[in-house]
Amino acid sequence: MRVGVEVGGTFTDLVAIGKDGVRVTKVPSVPKRPDEGAFNALVASELDISAIEDLAHGSTVATNAVLERKGFPTAFVTTQGFRDILALQRHNRNSIYDLEYQKPAPVVARLDSFEVDERVLSSGEVERQLDEEAVLRELVPRLKDGNYEAVAVCLLNSYVNPSHEEKLRELIKQQLPDLHVTLSSEVTREFREFERASTAAISAYVQPVIDRYIGRFEDRLQEHGFRGRFSVMQSNGGRLPAEAMRQSAVTALLSGPAAGVMGATRQAGRSGYKNLITLDIGGTSTDVCVVTEGKPELTSEFHIDGLPIRIPVIDINTVGAGGGSIVWIDEGGMLRVGPHSAGADPGPACYGRGGQQPTITDAHLIRQTMRPEAFLGGRMNIDVEAARRVFESIAQHFNMSLEEAADSAIQLANANIVRAIQLISTERGKDPRDYVMVPYGGAGPLHAAQVAKDLGIETIVVPPNAGVMSAYGLIASNFVQFESLTRRAVVDQNAGDLVRETFKFMKERALERFEGMGLNSNLRLDFIADMRFVGQAFEVPVSLTEDQIVNLDTAEIRRLFGKAHQKIYFFGEGSEKPIEFVSFRLGTTAELDDLPVLSETPDYRVDEGDIELFDQRKMHKGKLLSRSSLTPERTLKGPLLLEDPTSTLFVPEGWDARSDDQHNLVLERSE
Amino acid sequence: MPEGKSEITTETALNPVDYAVISQGLIAAAREMGAKLIRSAYSTIVREAADASAALLDREGNVVAQAELIPMQLGPMADTFRACAELYPVDELQEGDFYINNDPFSGGQHLQDVFIYSPIFVGGEIIGFAGTVAHHLDLGGGNPGLTTEAADVHAEGFLFPPSKYNLYRDWRGGPLERLVSANIRVPAQTIGDFNAQFAANAIGGERVAQLCEKYGLKTIQSVMNQLMDYSERRFRAALSELPEGTYYGEDAIDDDGITEEPLVVKAALTIEKGEITVDFEGTCAQVTRNLNCPYTSTISATLSAIKSVLTSPDIPFNEGVKRPITISAPKGSLLNPNYPAPVRARMEAGYRCFNAVMKALAQIVPDRVISGGNDTTTVTAISHLGDEGYRVYLEVFGGGYGASAHKDGCDAVDAPLSNCANTPIEATDMDFSHFRIIGYGLLPDSCGHGKYRGGLGFYRSYEILKDGVNFAIYADRFRLSPYGLFGGSDGQVARCEIKRGDEVIQVKSKDGMDLKKGDILTLYTAGGAGYGKADERDPEAIRHDVKHGYLSREMAEKSYGVAV
Repeated sequence: MRVGVEVGGTFTDLVAIGKDGVRVTKVPSVPKRPDEGAFNALVASELDISAIEDLAHGSTVATNAVLERKGFPTAFVTTQGFRDILALQRHNRNSIYDLEYQKPAPVVARLDSFEVDERVLSSGEVERQLDEEAVLRELVPRLKDGNYEAVAVCLLNSYVNPSHEEKLRELIKQQLPDLHVTLSSEVTREFREFERASTAAISAYVQPVIDRYIGRFEDRLQEHGFRGRFSVMQSNGGRLPAEAMRQSAVTALLSGPAAGVMGATRQAGRSGYKNLITLDIGGTSTDVCVVTEGKPELTSEFHIDGLPIRIPVIDINTVGAGGGSIVWIDEGGMLRVGPHSAGADPGPACYGRGGQQPTITDAHLIRQTMRPEAFLGGRMNIDVEAARRVFESIAQHFNMSLEEAADSAIQLANANIVRAIQLISTERGKDPRDYVMVPYGGAGPLHAAQVAKDLGIETIVVPPNAGVMSAYGLIASNFVQFESLTRRAVVDQNAGDLVRETFKFMKERALERFEGMGLNSNLRLDFIADMRFVGQAFEVPVSLTEDQIVNLDTAEIRRLFGKAHQKIYFFGEGSEKPIEFVSFRLGTTAELDDLPVLSETPDYRVDEGDIELFDQRKMHKGKLLSRSSLTPERTLKGPLLLEDPTSTLFVPEGWDARSDDQHNLVLERSE
Repeated sequence: MPEGKSEITTETALNPVDYAVISQGLIAAAREMGAKLIRSAYSTIVREAADASAALLDREGNVVAQAELIPMQLGPMADTFRACAELYPVDELQEGDFYINNDPFSGGQHLQDVFIYSPIFVGGEIIGFAGTVAHHLDLGGGNPGLTTEAADVHAEGFLFPPSKYNLYRDWRGGPLERLVSANIRVPAQTIGDFNAQFAANAIGGERVAQLCEKYGLKTIQSVMNQLMDYSERRFRAALSELPEGTYYGEDAIDDDGITEEPLVVKAALTIEKGEITVDFEGTCAQVTRNLNCPYTSTISATLSAIKSVLTSPDIPFNEGVKRPITISAPKGSLLNPNYPAPVRARMEAGYRCFNAVMKALAQIVPDRVISGGNDTTTVTAISHLGDEGYRVYLEVFGGGYGASAHKDGCDAVDAPLSNCANTPIEATDMDFSHFRIIGYGLLPDSCGHGKYRGGLGFYRSYEILKDGVNFAIYADRFRLSPYGLFGGSDGQVARCEIKRGDEVIQVKSKDGMDLKKGDILTLYTAGGAGYGKADERDPEAIRHDVKHGYLSREMAEKSYGVAV
């Protein structure tokens, strides 16, 4: 049996897939002790823990430690003269007219930041040797006295030559063997010291958190007779065996949305869809991601609470538009939705818990695109009158009916989501019309059709049990690890050899590492060269397959780079200007031998019949159906509402719906 | 707001959703232009420091949406555009044509900020313009990067009068590109940065065309107009709450770099009938050195102060915000100089406009202003001519922010009218062999004190690695400190010094000199001033500052009477 347990902010979801089918469990999270929630889910699911072969876990523990600055005492060590790197940051502001602007607080304070005497140059040449005596005499005692659990080391230019960082770790470890030491050159090999230092500091900061959490979790599992493989989800869309994860804590940050993307990718992939735009709409926000050829796009530029982290993560764009997003009119008379949310408490007005502001969920009730009986499978009391009441002022302001006002709010939320998708598609040179949309999360299937239409997307694939996609994604994910290497070189006649040599070197190391983790079958390698025109500072990723690398020559490299640059920046194709390699990245993936199958919950039935709903400024007559009543043979025309235990799917006029043989629902534009 | 209702629903029958969606689309397009300009640029000043901005304009040159990058560069977008359009009418433009202008006496700021506008054609018709401005590393002039002693604007670099050229005919290897390349010192980087501007303009044009395709030309034009009306309406709503009257404020630049006479800037700010008038009558006359502030820079600085204090940050800044504001400065004064005054360091006078207006506003809305901060652009140029040709390093620094009624000022950050990032040490190591940065850190105790303290200044230290290195600087707040408000104390002043063996040479705030191998150049920027009385400060905040080394024990004792 395979089990995925995903701890979210509000709920902990469990998906178990075994011989006798799919079991789905949802329990409240225990925010202070995420593992408690996870075990509650295991208990509630009544599973035999000793029968679990594959247990995959995703947790907010690392993310929360950073957001709440509740990690363990961590020190930071850098080159002499640069102790304040973490506090100084990049000297700019992200809100230019805000007079009370504050920088995001670093995870390591000034008081815990130290210097060592050394200097390596950008060529890799050592300009000043590391003063080892001073390290032993001054730094080590201070690290000892500070009772630190972890230390991050970021020395200037270590991305070219990490020898001083490595020596420093050796010296510290000799004296203080229990201290976690994180080297910047090992977490990211990219230049720009602040971003690398920030990555290293956050990595060190969450290291003891993850280490203890996994240790505690493993102990409890053992007590319950667990004998299977325990793995943990990462933000790059792959998981790692728990033991390896204890050395790689930073990749656990923000893994929840990544698990959802992987689940959606796998489930849609079963029906043969490889180019996807995923749409995860929850209570407070929407996460969107572009998946090309079955692979989610990656980025190395992401932030947590304003602090940069430079590791490859799934390129998920988040926008403050969810069911709880507040609908309001600003003082200039413009209709707005979000980013403020009514959250889970008080929640939308219709929850009857004192929410006084109109939200998107209230709007759906007014439009009748969601039925009060559909909340938590009918286990929740919903106050439709409260929803209508809070929308009155919006309707009056624009001289509209309540339905029109609610519809306007939803169209606007959809438009915000469309923009979020354009940011990661159109702006990165990808045309959304080449993709299908895969909605999930509680409200994804409610909004998908309109969002897809605005982007010119013709097909929507809605997975079964769309409300627990992240938990499914855990067990559907491969094992993945990334490595990067900075090797700056102008592209000349030897460029092909350089690529081949670098690839061979990185490949050997990766294979060795995976061998060590017991993952040596079914390996896939993704090789990326980060390139730019000589003199530029930001690189364009150029993907190279193993086949391409064999016969790669200078002209081909130039052609591939020119094409990639043109797509993003509207120039560069055919240019004869000098170009250079900056770094190389290798992603190693151990693919799952067989994929767990997510299916419908067949026993869930609603009272099917005729309904009326309001959409796109007018009233429509439509049908209400149980989702599981659709079959591949039966194509139905919108407007339809299709309900399952975890979400409502809205099929507007102009769309046809049918089920396929993989339990996915497929919507297609009929006009 | 009743006006809001009537304009949105009746004037054009545009529904609120289309209106909101298209206006967000325009703002997003401007933001994308800015982001891509920076990411595809070549010089450290653009690609690392992000000294560049972008905007979309309507057919008449009104700024509709902007990428929020550098406040000072965004103010004059419309003025630089109009100077071009008057000479070369919009109706006569062809595909590939562009306007270019950096003339400080025709709507421009200083020469280094070159404004380029490309028409956006939709179905053969021009619907608007995509405009970008970037600070160019070197445009010729007396010295690489910066000429402190320039006697006139011509000594400061290459001047593009308001003109029209064609990208395909005149740039891309054409005569204009050749002319510019031949007159600047680091063409590979500068031409690369110009190309990044053209590419960003093309992206803006493409996005607007896509919006037109989806919603129709007329609708887009209507939204452009409404977006300006919207900002105006929100700004007027904020103005209507303020008491009428005239309020005064003044501040001064340390000196002109030759004498020690402060250059005084005076502002009289009048609120009347829902409009604001700012008059700089009484400001000192223009000077012979580069501290003169072109009129559009004066306007830009004043608008930034008003916008920051009186409106919430989410009001889109566009032409509509300017409508209720009238700004005037006497011709021939520091804030409206006559040709051919040198203007390179116009930011310093711009900041004093900002400060004078801020002091006037402090009398009206004391809880929305901030105390004096470093409020200075410190520009350092370290250049060298060697075997590999010219190498020019240029960097722009801020310092500590002034404190407010609610928060300490931000430490070590660029000042309010600018927003440049620092250049990573590893980027300077990679690009320059004539110097090396050997220290960069906070300056404890450099802030002013009060209920809330100012932000800390910082230092940056350079070891010079070759003989014959040229150094130039313009800065301010070396003598007149950032001012405290409502009982807060002043911030510490800035300074710059060179260690040459045992000798320490003090550098003036506007200075230039040759450096020798082995020299250590260190710049110390000013700290922000405090707000409110020191005895009202939370003792826990004082202890925290001492513990983390932001404040020394001695200073805590002296300024707050607290023993830690």
